[in-house]
Amino acid sequence: MTPFLSVLTSVVAWVAAMLTVASLAVVGPARLRAAWGGVRARLWDSRRAIAVLCTVLLASAVGRSWLLDVSRLFGVQATALIYKLEGGFVAWVQATFAGPALTAYFSWVYVYGYAFLLAFPVVAYLALPRTVTLRRLFVAYALNYGIGLALYTLIFAHGPRNVMPEMVTPLLFANQPDVMALTSEVNVNSNVFPSLHTSLAVSVGTFAVLTREEYPRWTPVGVTLSLSVVVATMYLGIHWLTDVIAGFALAFGSVYLAHRFVEPRGEGLSPGDDAGERPGSGTGADD
Amino acid sequence: MTRPISRRAALAGLGLAAASAGCLGRTENIAGRNPPSQLTLEINTTPADDDPNGIRIARQLEEHLTAVGVDVRLNTVGQTDLWRKVLINQNFDLYVGQFVETEPFDADALYGLTHSKFVAESGWQNPYGLTEIAVDDALERQRRVSGDERTDAIGSLQETLCELQPFSVVAFPDALTAVREHRFEGWTEDRQPLSATGLLELDAVADGSDDGGSGTDGSGTNDTGTGGSTDGNASTEDAAGGDDGTLRLVTTDDRITENWNPIAAEYRKYGTFTGLLYDPLVRADGDAVVPWLAADWERVDDDVLEVSLRDARWHDGEPVTATDVAFTYRFLRDTSLGSVETSVPTPRFRGRSSLVDDERVLDESTVRLTVPDVNETVAARALQVPILPKHVWSERTGAATIAGFELDFETTEAIVSNNPDPVGSGPLRFVEAEAGESVVFERNPDHFLVRPAADGESADSDETTDPRAGVPSRYRGKPAFDRLRIEVLPSDISAVESVSDGLADATVSNLGPASVPLIGRSADARLVSGRSAAFYHVGYNVRRSPLSNPRFRSVVARLIDKSALVDDAFDGYARAAASPLAASPNAVPDSVAWDGDTDPTHPFFADEGSLDVEAARAALRDIGYRFDDEGRLLSRGQ
Repeated sequence: MTPFLSVLTSVVAWVAAMLTVASLAVVGPARLRAAWGGVRARLWDSRRAIAVLCTVLLASAVGRSWLLDVSRLFGVQATALIYKLEGGFVAWVQATFAGPALTAYFSWVYVYGYAFLLAFPVVAYLALPRTVTLRRLFVAYALNYGIGLALYTLIFAHGPRNVMPEMVTPLLFANQPDVMALTSEVNVNSNVFPSLHTSLAVSVGTFAVLTREEYPRWTPVGVTLSLSVVVATMYLGIHWLTDVIAGFALAFGSVYLAHRFVEPRGEGLSPGDDAGERPGSGTGADD
Repeated sequence: MTRPISRRAALAGLGLAAASAGCLGRTENIAGRNPPSQLTLEINTTPADDDPNGIRIARQLEEHLTAVGVDVRLNTVGQTDLWRKVLINQNFDLYVGQFVETEPFDADALYGLTHSKFVAESGWQNPYGLTEIAVDDALERQRRVSGDERTDAIGSLQETLCELQPFSVVAFPDALTAVREHRFEGWTEDRQPLSATGLLELDAVADGSDDGGSGTDGSGTNDTGTGGSTDGNASTEDAAGGDDGTLRLVTTDDRITENWNPIAAEYRKYGTFTGLLYDPLVRADGDAVVPWLAADWERVDDDVLEVSLRDARWHDGEPVTATDVAFTYRFLRDTSLGSVETSVPTPRFRGRSSLVDDERVLDESTVRLTVPDVNETVAARALQVPILPKHVWSERTGAATIAGFELDFETTEAIVSNNPDPVGSGPLRFVEAEAGESVVFERNPDHFLVRPAADGESADSDETTDPRAGVPSRYRGKPAFDRLRIEVLPSDISAVESVSDGLADATVSNLGPASVPLIGRSADARLVSGRSAAFYHVGYNVRRSPLSNPRFRSVVARLIDKSALVDDAFDGYARAAASPLAASPNAVPDSVAWDGDTDPTHPFFADEGSLDVEAARAALRDIGYRFDDEGRLLSRGQ
C-alpha cells in the first residue's frame, strides 16, 4: 500500500500544481474571479450530467471485478487476432524512437499529464458562463467509460508488453515500478481494447479544438498533451495500435453523442443566478 | 494448383451451365470435394505479467510455425483460464506451460500424465489424450519391476515418450527468487527455494540482542542436520514478538487468495501452500521418503500396506483418524462416492491415487491400503496424497450446481468448491484472505512438528513416544514463522521491488531474467535460485489432427530452438532438456540425455543460428504434408 499511496500523493500534487498554473494562464485571473460566484449554480445546472458520470464511475468501481470474470469466461479472446492484425508495430515504435528522454517524458505524460488532461477541462468549462460544454464533457466522459467498460467485458486481450516481452519493454514499469501499484488499482492487464487513455485524452483534445474560441491558449496545449498520451500508450508498450484506433473511434463517437444528447439551453446562464433552469426545460443530460 | 477463390459463387454460375451441358455428375464430383485450406494452430499460454518465460517459448514457436506456413493464433489467457482450457475442457491445440512438481520427481509421475486409461478424464491425468500401447506398457512395467530392471523400464519409457512427443520438454528453469535474509534464513539453493519443504526448512534469524537463539541448524545446505537439535522452536520464540514472526511473501499469482482446494487443478500451480495446509501420509524429502501424518508404514504382504497414523488433529479440533485416510482414497477415486452416475475422479493426484485399489480401517489409527503388485518406490508414492477430513468433504460429493440447478458438468461440488476456510491437518492453517489481494496463514500450534517430545500421548506407536519420530531434525519445531502472509503484486518487477524495499521477505512466483539486475542493484535483496523440476514444455492435443500424427509432432518439436531459448529467453537461467525426468537423478539414459547444444532426438532445424525453413518444409513433405504455391501448409479435415 505504501508505494500506492506515495504515487497517489505525487499525482495529486502534480495535478494540483498544473491546474493552478493552467487556470491562471488559460482562464485568467479575471475570468476565474468572475466565474467563482456562479460555480454552485452551474454545478446544479449540470447535475444530471454529473449524476450520469458518477453512476458510470460507481458502476465501474463496483462491478469491474465481476465484469472481469465475465470477460475471462465468456469474452472474445482477441489477443491472437490483434497480434495477427498488426504484428510488431508497437515493437517497431519502441525500437525506432525509444530513448531515455522520451521515456521520461511519456512516462510522465501517461500518469501525470493524463490526470491533468482530464481534470483541467472541468475547471475551464466550469468557468464558462454557459454550462453546455461542461455538461457535454461530463456526458462524453461517461460514454467513454461506459462503452469502454462494455467493450472490456466483451473483448479479452492482453497488451503488447505481455505478448512480446522480448521486443516490447514495459518501459513505464521498468522505470517507475511504483506507478504499477497505482495503475494496477485502476486497471487490469487484460483490459486493453479499446485504449481508454486514448479515448479520454482524444475526447479532451476534441473539446479543446471545439472550444478554441473560448480558450485559444488551451487548444494547442490540450491537443499536444492528448496526442502525447496517445503515443505514450504505445511507446510504453501498454496498448496495441488497434486499441488506439478503437480509442479514437470511441472518443469521436462519445463527443458526437454528447453533442447529440446535450443541447444548449435557450438562454445563457448569468453567473450568480441561483435558480438556474428547472429540469424539463432542456433536453437535459440523460441519455 | 489453382485455388478456388470463391467456390460458392463460381459453382452457382457454373452449375447451371454444366447442368445444361449434361455433365452434372462430373460437377457434383468436383463440388462434393472440400478444398484443402491452410493449417491453423492455436498456441495458448499466459501473458508476461503472469509468467515472463512461457510467452517467450510460445513466441519462438509461433514465429517458426508461421515461417513454415502454418496460420498461428497466439493466445494469451490467465493461469486459471489456461489450465481450465487445457486440463478441464481439453479445448486447445498447443499450450506452453510448466509441470506441477518442483522437486525432482520419480518416473511414476508420468503415469498420470500419459497413461491412456485416463483419456476420458479431465485434470492433470493425460491432458494430451495420448493413447499408445507402448507407453502404457512401459508405465505399467516401471510400477511392477525394481532395481536395474526398473531403471531399464524407465529408460525405455523416456525413449518412447521422446519419440512420440505428446509434449515437448523445453527446459528446466532455475527458480529465481529474490530474498532478504534479515529475518529468515536457510533458503535452499539446490532446488526450488519456495517449496513446501523449503518453507519448513527456513530458520528465523535471531535478534542481535539475543545470542542464545543463533544456534539454528544450518539446514540451508541440505545436510541432514544431525547435530542441530538446538531446535528451531527456541529461535522461533525469540522472533515471536510483535509482527516479527510473519514471513511475508509476494507473488503475481492471485489464485491462492481465492481458492484453497487441493484438488482443483486449474487453481494450483505446484500446490506449495495447499501442501502445507494438508498433510500427506509421507512426504518426499530429496531422495528419501519421510513419515509425515503416518507414524510408520509397512508392507504386510505383496499387496497390502499397513499405515499407522500419528496423533493429529484437524484445524477444527476433530481428531485425524484412519477413517479419514480410507475416505480420502475412496474420494480421490470418485469424488461423488457413487452419487453421480459415472465416477468423477480427482483432477489432481490421479496417478498416485490410482495405485490404491481398496482400503480397510483396522482401528482409529491404523488403515490397510491395497496397493497391488508395485515396487517399494511406487508404493511410497501412493502415500503422497493430501489427507482430507471426511466430515468436511463428504458434504461435497453431490453433483455441482449453479443456483440450485444441476447442469450436466459431470463434476462434483468437491472439485468446483473454492474450499473456503480450509480444514486440514498441516503445519499451516488458514487465517484470512482478501480475494486478489492477499492471504494469511498461521502456524498450527497443534501440529506434531511443534508439539514437544515426550508428552506420552501417542497411543499406538510402539517404538517411540516421540510425536515427531522419523522426521528429520531440520523440520522439527517448524515452521519458524508464526504467520505467513502472501501478497499479490502486478508483475515480477514489482515483486522484486517490494523485496528490495523491505516490504517482503521473498518472491514466490516466477521471475524473468530482467528482474535479476534489479536484485543485484538492491543492497538488501539477494538472488537465490535452485533448479526446479517444473519443466517448461509445449503440450499437444493429440486428439486433434494433425497433432494426432506423431511424425507431425516430431517436426513441430524440431522447430523449437531450446538452446536459443535458454540463452535468450531465460538468459541462461535454465537447462535445456529432452526428457521430462532430466532433473531426477540418474534417471535419464544416454539416448535421450541432452548433450552439448543439440537435442538428442529432435534436433532443431538450424541454419547458422536461425530456422532452416526449407529443411523444415522438406521434413513435412517427407511425411506427407503439402504446401500451396504461396507456401502455406495445407490441411484436410481440420
